Amino acid sequence: MDYVIHNVVLGFSVAGTPINLLLAFVGVFMGTIIGVLPGIGPMTGTALLIPLAFSLNMNPTSAIILMAGIYYGAMYGGSTTSILVNTPGESSSVVTCIDGNKMAKNGRAGPALAAAAIGSFIAGTFATIMLMFFGPLLAQIALHFGPPEFFALMVAGLTVVTSLAGRSIVKALISTLFGLAIAMVGIDLQSSVPRFTFGNVRFMDGIEFLVVAIGLFAITEVFVNLIEMAKKEGKPDLIKIKGGLMLTKEDWKHFWPSCWRGTISGFFVGGVAGAGAAVASFVSYGLEKKAGKRRHLLGTGIIEGVAGPESANNAAAGGSLIHLLCLGIPGSGTTAIMLGALIMLGLQPGPLLFTQQPQFVWGLIASMYIGNVMLLVLNLPLVGMWVKLLDIPQYLLTLFIVLFSFLGVYTANNAVEDLFIMIIFGLVGFGFKKADIPAAPVILGMVLGKMMEEKMRQSLVISDGSYAIFLTRPIALFFLLLAVVSITNPYWKYVPMFFRKLFGGGKGKAAAV
Amino acid sequence: MATGKREDRIASVLVALFSVAFLMGAFFTIKKPIYPQQLGPDGFPKAIGFLMTALSIIYLFQAFLGKIKDDAKRAEIIGAEEKLEEKTNFKLMGLVLLDMVAYALLFVPLGFALSTLLALLVGILILDRKHLIRDLIISVVGSFGIYFAFTILLRVELPRGLLTLVGL
Repeated sequence: MDYVIHNVVLGFSVAGTPINLLLAFVGVFMGTIIGVLPGIGPMTGTALLIPLAFSLNMNPTSAIILMAGIYYGAMYGGSTTSILVNTPGESSSVVTCIDGNKMAKNGRAGPALAAAAIGSFIAGTFATIMLMFFGPLLAQIALHFGPPEFFALMVAGLTVVTSLAGRSIVKALISTLFGLAIAMVGIDLQSSVPRFTFGNVRFMDGIEFLVVAIGLFAITEVFVNLIEMAKKEGKPDLIKIKGGLMLTKEDWKHFWPSCWRGTISGFFVGGVAGAGAAVASFVSYGLEKKAGKRRHLLGTGIIEGVAGPESANNAAAGGSLIHLLCLGIPGSGTTAIMLGALIMLGLQPGPLLFTQQPQFVWGLIASMYIGNVMLLVLNLPLVGMWVKLLDIPQYLLTLFIVLFSFLGVYTANNAVEDLFIMIIFGLVGFGFKKADIPAAPVILGMVLGKMMEEKMRQSLVISDGSYAIFLTRPIALFFLLLAVVSITNPYWKYVPMFFRKLFGGGKGKAAAV
Repeated sequence: MATGKREDRIASVLVALFSVAFLMGAFFTIKKPIYPQQLGPDGFPKAIGFLMTALSIIYLFQAFLGKIKDDAKRAEIIGAEEKLEEKTNFKLMGLVLLDMVAYALLFVPLGFALSTLLALLVGILILDRKHLIRDLIISVVGSFGIYFAFTILLRVELPRGLLTLVGL
């Protein structure tokens, strides 16, 4: 306990400096804008704002305070438009639309917004407290991992996240491997042999992950917006907020149970399973459908349908930071981008972070508290202003995404070639979108690729070339089995069918159950 | 007969070509290191290449022979992104793409402020011409505002280009 208190004090002393307070504010403010604007998701937003951290020569602590603020803010902002306009700002607030917008239509927009904000606040704070207590424990365990365990952990991390991305596992895996393939470009650090550089000096350092991320998300978003622009005519119906924001006594009674259900399930989805905020919000809505007292009313605009999912997505966002900080494994596209940025800033996320860079970890934790409070204070009174953002014409927004993409990619390396690489990846991303291949796994693969290879080679040095090392060490074996299970899980249902056919027993499906 | 979607057929062929090219690259273009290693610089890329080729064969089969399983329930649980079903307006997309390429080419010669202004104006002409004066003001303020905010306030180097001529 003393250890925690000591570190919390340290954290607040780091996060409480004027510059870091300002950055946390800028982060949550920009994040909320990004969350509200329909054309920009949290991934695009975080990728676009990373160059700012570089060009300002920020230290890693300040940079992650900014990024975490954006991440949190985007989660919040997305819910506002879900409720008022029925257009989710990002994928994790899709479910909020169902009941949130109905509530607004019933003249209860205020309580809906308040429930989302308070639910997010409670969940965010809960996740932060969990990170504070379990983070150091997990880091302690992970300190005993050797290269084989880390390699297996990365394989498991990649496959678990991949298996939850997109509709087809095959496509998601192709996307991950594509990311790993891009990570191979450049000089191999262990042997100084150039790989896939085509003799071009520019490729010697590899392809910068930021260039790929901005291309795949921001530029692709531009092309997608062009299509949407042609489709949508006129403005969406905006619902005016009538009456106060306060929840009634009746509301509170229904709010608490679903808020806690959302928070705890969201934290498990994000922090334990490593899946992202979108999954968490859907899981929570499912839970409300099963366990809620007024489940028969769900979908007609009741507060449970807002409080549950909104708590869940924030708890998951906080939970996935545990993976990122303790193990160095990102659980979602946005955390992958944050990991990439931290590596660019010269920091190696992983179990050593807690002991070697306490001011970084605890500064971040403290800033998450501060950010949560700022969001609560910002979001409700400024709701009117956020909604005004929706008046910005789509085409201007799209052109400014182009502008900021160019600005960001150029300032990262001062290289014009990067601009062309970014445009090419924008086209690749658009192709992915057309073929319904998820793009987030590319970033995961890219960020983890080099590390995975390094750990694999270190393992093989330890075992003198024998691959058995991954199977004889129990923890490594466990992670690899987890990876196999996560990929094959949609096909399990065929196994009993196969055996039935093989032995000729049973009469069709009836016997299976 | 092909039963899959056209996009999937095109994508599966492209993915297969890329996978095979990558595998070939891993086998033939990576030199041996000076000191032998347990797993050389070509080991990991080869593994990626093999896996990717195997998956692309499955994808090819799915795209050309069987329907791609569209598990709506799974998509709902994991909250998959919306599919892009609308037709692409290739003319509009091509024009915007040209605008971007021109922007990249002129980025350094013209400098950030002027190339950005030009790219924004061309973009506005392509996309919407209803509010020209308002948009002109936004473009000028946007491009020069960001330029000065970055170079003066944040002290970030941006290409000056032609602005050097007028001493800015």
